[in-house]
Amino acid sequence: MNVLFYLSSAIAIAATIMVITRYKPIHALLYLVVSFMAVAMIFLSLGAPFVAVLEIILYAGAIIVLMIFVVMMLNLGSETAQQEKEWLLPKVWLGPSILSLVLLGEIIYLLLRSGTGNASFIFIDSKKVALSLYGEYIIAVELTGFLLMAGIVGAAHIGKHKKKHLHRFLQEEEVSTKIEVRSTKPEDEKQTKPVAYKP
Amino acid sequence: MTSVQLLALLPFMLLATASIIVILLIAFKQSHTVIQVTGFLMMCSVILAMWYVRDVLPVAVLPLLVVDGFAAIFTGMIIFSVLVVGLFSFIYFEEREENPKEYYILLFLSTLGAAVLTISRHFISLFIGLELLSVSLYALIAYLRTRNNAVEAGLKYLVLAAVSSAFLLFGMALIYMETGSMEFNAIAQKTGTTLSPLFVTGVGLMVVAIGFKLAIVPFHLWAADVYQGAPAPVTSFIATVSKIGVFAVLLRFGQAVHLQANSLAFTIFAALAILSMIAGNILALRQDNIKRLLAYSSIAHFGYLIVAFLPGNEAGVEASMFYLLAYSITTLVAFGIITLLSTRERDAEKLEGYRGLFWRHPILAAVLTVALLSLAGIPLTGGFIGKFAVLTSGVQQGLWAPVIVLVLTSVVGIYYYLRILTTLFAEAPSIAKKEKVLHPFFYNAMYAALIVLAVILLGIGVFPSGVMNGIKEFLAIGGQ
Repeated sequence: MNVLFYLSSAIAIAATIMVITRYKPIHALLYLVVSFMAVAMIFLSLGAPFVAVLEIILYAGAIIVLMIFVVMMLNLGSETAQQEKEWLLPKVWLGPSILSLVLLGEIIYLLLRSGTGNASFIFIDSKKVALSLYGEYIIAVELTGFLLMAGIVGAAHIGKHKKKHLHRFLQEEEVSTKIEVRSTKPEDEKQTKPVAYKP
Repeated sequence: MTSVQLLALLPFMLLATASIIVILLIAFKQSHTVIQVTGFLMMCSVILAMWYVRDVLPVAVLPLLVVDGFAAIFTGMIIFSVLVVGLFSFIYFEEREENPKEYYILLFLSTLGAAVLTISRHFISLFIGLELLSVSLYALIAYLRTRNNAVEAGLKYLVLAAVSSAFLLFGMALIYMETGSMEFNAIAQKTGTTLSPLFVTGVGLMVVAIGFKLAIVPFHLWAADVYQGAPAPVTSFIATVSKIGVFAVLLRFGQAVHLQANSLAFTIFAALAILSMIAGNILALRQDNIKRLLAYSSIAHFGYLIVAFLPGNEAGVEASMFYLLAYSITTLVAFGIITLLSTRERDAEKLEGYRGLFWRHPILAAVLTVALLSLAGIPLTGGFIGKFAVLTSGVQQGLWAPVIVLVLTSVVGIYYYLRILTTLFAEAPSIAKKEKVLHPFFYNAMYAALIVLAVILLGIGVFPSGVMNGIKEFLAIGGQ
């Protein structure tokens, strides 16, 4: 069990070093996902599968969502797919994949040798986590709610876009659209007037 | 949770409710004045609640919190400071470009964080309290987000505070690994009198984080920039509330595990105190920016406070409480005057702007004089009695090195405080014509508050026994 622990720790450290030395954010994110998976593996090897799963869902999952957002916002077309193929060199994906493969190997090893595990550690399932969170540590959970509130209010304030109040002479676009509207009106009248005068 | 525990937590629940009430008021589009007054009343109710529940103390809310007399004093000081800071904020933020309403949510949330620190007896509550304090502070410091100074200060604080939190967590992990517990008293039982190297390493890492928050040398690098860049009321908040909270938890942790009994830990703290006193005073000597000067002077003052922390006995605790009280009132007065003299465009931070203040605003100059004399530790002010109490507690334990440094650096400190004083009374360059006072009600309230604070400062300097007895009485409630 110790070997697994040290192996995953080494992967976590290596991946994190790669995160902070990458120049491109997406490459760094790839390694960050690996880092979180390695931490989840550490939890798993220590007998806390629930926390391990949470680690994957909350952290690694959140990063995947981030990546999807980036892809969505860039609004990529077909020519970028070609560019992407040229950019996706083996040196970009090889590192994270190898590290992930090692982690996968660890999990397979753990699954295959199930039943023979030693009982030196306490098995922590979701019920125990829930009981301690909503039992003795309930105040901590509530305070964490306030912590989130502080973060959200702060981020909302810092990131807020301020409405620009321009002088009416500076609002060129709106003025020009108004003129267009006016210029169309007489034409309509011209078309309608002859019709009105005929009888 | 029993009803007694809920009762003991009443002040903290009220404090938490205050921020939610402010959010609701914003949602219902209430004006700045309504929010300000409601916030003021909520803080008053917190103090009243604290007074009301003092008979049931001490109450332990296992395993995270304990509400005792010790916590009551520190929480009282924190709420008192927030009352004053809130009063200062109205004029300041009403005149600035940003919408001032969210400010109060963040202000009350970070106050909640500081208050949780004073009652925490467990690493988890310590960490959450500290994070609550600093996460709100990031946004508060950068609140005027179009100003480069403010954004720079906020970012600097964000990065350094995050790093210091990492140190704190790692230190906690090491102590947990050594003792198998995260509760202060349980840790003390596990370790006994001799502390293992791993434990001291853990404490050392925690000291990095605590030292960062208290701006002790060598973790003080953020102080001057953040003090300068943050809006003046926020600066006064950092200088008082956040430091009171962190110092309270340091004091409680030190008392619980008898940190001072360990010679290595003792040496570390003594060295930090001496370094802070020397570096803070020397860096302040040549400052022309009054906010930066107060930042360096606060570094020196926390060096003095650590001297009171070193003995680790009752006298030291009482001395540090009195010192913190005098220091926070003084700082609030000084920053209050900076707030009052600030213009819409910039804070009144240049020393030049104070030239001849006495001839323009004689009362403000007199109040600032009292504050500066108290910071310098001149007799008849609260600062003198505080310093005297700290010296007494140090001398009783024979801590000669820190005590001698304290005395010598205080002499150096007098130089730069007197430099400001001479500026105040110097010949005014030209009598500027009186500006129209905006928001007369809040202006006058602030004026009155500053005068009252200055009178309190003189009062506790002349008759310190009343306050000292009060502190002793409260400490007796929370007997360990």
